[in-house]
Amino acid sequence: MSAARHHPGWAVLRRCDPWMASAALTLLGVGIAFIYSAGRHAATLSSLWLKQLSWAGLAVLGCLAVVRTGYHRILRQAGALYVIAVAVLVLTLIAGTRINGARCWLNFFGIQLQPSELAKVATVLLLARELARPDLNAEHWSTLARTAAIAGIPFVLILLQPDLGTAMVLLPVTAAMLFVAGMRIRQLLTIGVAGIALLPVTWPFLDSYQKERIRVFFDPWRDPLGSGWNKIQSELAVGSGGLWGKGWLRGTQNTLGYLPQPVAPTDFIFSVIGEEAGFIGSSLLLLLFLVLLWRALEAASRAADRAGLLLAVGLATLIFVHMFVNLGMTIGLLPIVGLPLPLVSYGGSFLIATGLGLGLLLSVYAQGSPATM
Amino acid sequence: MSPRWLPAGWELARIRLLFAAMFVGILVVELALWNLQVARGREFQQDLARQSVRRVRIPGPRGRIFDCRGRPLADNRLSFSIALYLEELRPRSRKGSLLNEVQRTLDEVAAIIGQPPGVTSNDIIAHIRRRLPLPLVAWRDVSEAAVAKWAEMAIRIPGVDLYPEPVRVYPNGHVACHVLGYTRRAELQDVPEEPYHYYLADVEGASGVEKTFDYLLRGQAGVRLVRVNAAGYRYEDVDATEPAPGYDVQLTLDLNLQRAAESALDGVQGAIVVLDPSDGSVLAMASRPAFDPNVFVPAPSLEQWNALCKDPSLPLVNRAVAGAYPPGSTFKPVVAIAALLSRSIGPNTEFSCPGYLTLGNARFRCWDNLGHGTLDMRRAIRFSCNVYFYHVGLELGPQAIAATARAAGLGSKTGIDLEHEVAGFVPDPSWKRRTLRDVWRDGDTCNFAIGQGFLTATPIQMAVVASMFANGGRRVTPHLLKASRAPGAEEFVPVPAPAPQYVWPPSAVKVVQEGMRDVVMAPDGTGRRMFVQGYEFAGKTGTAEYGPKQEGRKRGWMIAFGPLPHPRWAAAMVVEDAVSGGITVAPRLQKFFAAALGAASTSEDRGL
Repeated sequence: MSAARHHPGWAVLRRCDPWMASAALTLLGVGIAFIYSAGRHAATLSSLWLKQLSWAGLAVLGCLAVVRTGYHRILRQAGALYVIAVAVLVLTLIAGTRINGARCWLNFFGIQLQPSELAKVATVLLLARELARPDLNAEHWSTLARTAAIAGIPFVLILLQPDLGTAMVLLPVTAAMLFVAGMRIRQLLTIGVAGIALLPVTWPFLDSYQKERIRVFFDPWRDPLGSGWNKIQSELAVGSGGLWGKGWLRGTQNTLGYLPQPVAPTDFIFSVIGEEAGFIGSSLLLLLFLVLLWRALEAASRAADRAGLLLAVGLATLIFVHMFVNLGMTIGLLPIVGLPLPLVSYGGSFLIATGLGLGLLLSVYAQGSPATM
Repeated sequence: MSPRWLPAGWELARIRLLFAAMFVGILVVELALWNLQVARGREFQQDLARQSVRRVRIPGPRGRIFDCRGRPLADNRLSFSIALYLEELRPRSRKGSLLNEVQRTLDEVAAIIGQPPGVTSNDIIAHIRRRLPLPLVAWRDVSEAAVAKWAEMAIRIPGVDLYPEPVRVYPNGHVACHVLGYTRRAELQDVPEEPYHYYLADVEGASGVEKTFDYLLRGQAGVRLVRVNAAGYRYEDVDATEPAPGYDVQLTLDLNLQRAAESALDGVQGAIVVLDPSDGSVLAMASRPAFDPNVFVPAPSLEQWNALCKDPSLPLVNRAVAGAYPPGSTFKPVVAIAALLSRSIGPNTEFSCPGYLTLGNARFRCWDNLGHGTLDMRRAIRFSCNVYFYHVGLELGPQAIAATARAAGLGSKTGIDLEHEVAGFVPDPSWKRRTLRDVWRDGDTCNFAIGQGFLTATPIQMAVVASMFANGGRRVTPHLLKASRAPGAEEFVPVPAPAPQYVWPPSAVKVVQEGMRDVVMAPDGTGRRMFVQGYEFAGKTGTAEYGPKQEGRKRGWMIAFGPLPHPRWAAAMVVEDAVSGGITVAPRLQKFFAAALGAASTSEDRGL
């Protein structure tokens, strides 16, 4: 550990990636603007954008704190953080607040937190440290078993809440980290195929609402006013945006309440964006995410050590999966899975988790040295 | 100090591969967006519009009805209803129920205007289920006092407002009620090519000219497009085609004559029809008992409706066109024409009346037991001698009388623009053989010749007969439509009157007309009680027995026209339960003509 790798104080900020920071801040701004638009017609939602603004402030502070601390020091505490995260998940299962039938929320001194969001980051941290061990034989099945254990505990705990979507995110994230850590592609494919083959076996274990969501994905008109409603209406909203969109604050789907108002600023924020900003605006949003992911993997490729590399890969994948699943369900490519759009959707826990993750990415970038990707 | 760690080449390659996978993922989303927003954007925009827009049909106000001088007979007035706008009452919390909000607001408003709401909670539930975006009309046509109380107090109550609606009003009450008829809310119609989400029903004519001229009077419905939100409440009005009012209609009725005709019927049951003998314009038509058509606006209460329907005197029936009575002696002028047309009997042919005529075992009596002595046609009409006409009838035979009667329009509908007109009946031997399986006897001919027996006629038919004697034998078609006016237009466009046909030679008519003049003008004429000082009128009275003979109930008739030599009016009047035509009906017609002449002279003086 050389002094050169530790940049005490705020000087490190100067080495941070301006591209990633700009993309992230722009996405935050876009999110707040459309949360304002989505909430302006419901009294209960009209102040959400202000709340999101303060959450964003907290997320930026968290991000800066992580950058200043440096990812090495945090990685050293990965085990402790992981244990805390698992403990809090257990606590949530016991004492969590039930919302829409799922115990995802923990009341923390009057603030509702979703521990699963933070648990995902903690899991990625521990995975990065473990997979970066110099004695690791990525091709050995024992590596896989250990990885599966680390990812599996929070996976099962989140699945028990039950929050299928958040739990499932851990699978591609872990897979991507294993892939970059050197696991054979054939092994990964074997696991993937086995997993897909096992999917039907999980069917009886799904909650009825989850089954309904999957059925509805294949046939939204089976219950157009009930479970198919969100899918139909969000596709209708995005589709009716056309090339240029109806203009900010001009969307009618949301205004008229066809988009269910509680989810419009959260999981379905993109249907508001799609309707009001159109294809052009949506493409710009995708471009912002592309920049963000490119810079996150750039951070990976110039990381100062293997743990940083794997950490960046895991976090980039985490962001990508959230983005892809969220957009995919909004435009009808995927079943409705309650995953928020990173940096854009309303939600404090996830925003802070994302801020911490971005802090880690920026830190990996800042501590690394230029390398071509 | 270890050398700086650098990722291996394969690691960088795998990172690039991962990035490529993410890039493909984003590309997939981008392509899906293109498909959704650009390729199928228009389709979704249409779907969106369709799901949030409701078509509401707004009926147009009815056209108005005027008399021949432009005085309103049926008008529209603005009525104020108090309506609840449900989108403003929607409960704030999930638990609140709209029904409770509505009930609470209704109670509040009821307390202010001091009138219980006109809707039950079932009505409210039905409205919420079926027509949520529309205002719920809770009080229809509230009084001015209630409107004033409302204006003072209730502006503060959210979601409640006055709702103006045009409403039919008949400013003259029962006057001409049978001609005007009444309106009702139209049944819902399926209009498949223009589906409406909400169909506000038209007001349609249910009887009278409101019904026959409904095609003119009925307003052109407009369409309002209402954007509703997901909960089904009204969000905004998107677009509208304004409803257009219907055509205004001008009738041939003259309100002054109509009022005079109405008062001629005061206190009796019966009917009167007054025509312009030159073209068949109906100047007045009244029937008693009458009703107030305003009772039907917007709808009669159940008690009112039952009272009108179950009344044994049938106030809803227009006796002028739907009442067929034996015309009695008013038929004699027609028989006289038949005689003159036959050429076997001339104006100077005389018969002697000893007070009766014996046919086999039966004795047919004259109304005057003393007899009229020897009479020619003119005097026979003047005294209404039955025996004279028995002889004429027997001479002519029933076919000739029936043919002349039919030529005058008896036995068939006149074609007046009113429904429920009856044709009356003109008998003949073949009919009697076919229907009653009996031969036509001379007695039947005698009865026929004095307008009794099987023969029946309506007042409007007899008014046409009177017109023929007034205008020299031309048969007119009675009609009510004088002109119509398109919505927004200044001038009425006249409707041409149906052309009259020459039926009887004027020379024959002249002979009978003289007899009819004597009826009124001679001091011993049967219709002398119709005499109007200073004017020459002609007429013929009639009395027909009906019901069981021992009750001795009679219907009194009179047909009349004048003033001579150029008659402006031809009238027929019937009174159920009269002493006789001469005693009961003639003075009433006298009153009518006197009033008509007074009204005519005053309006002429004023240059109207």
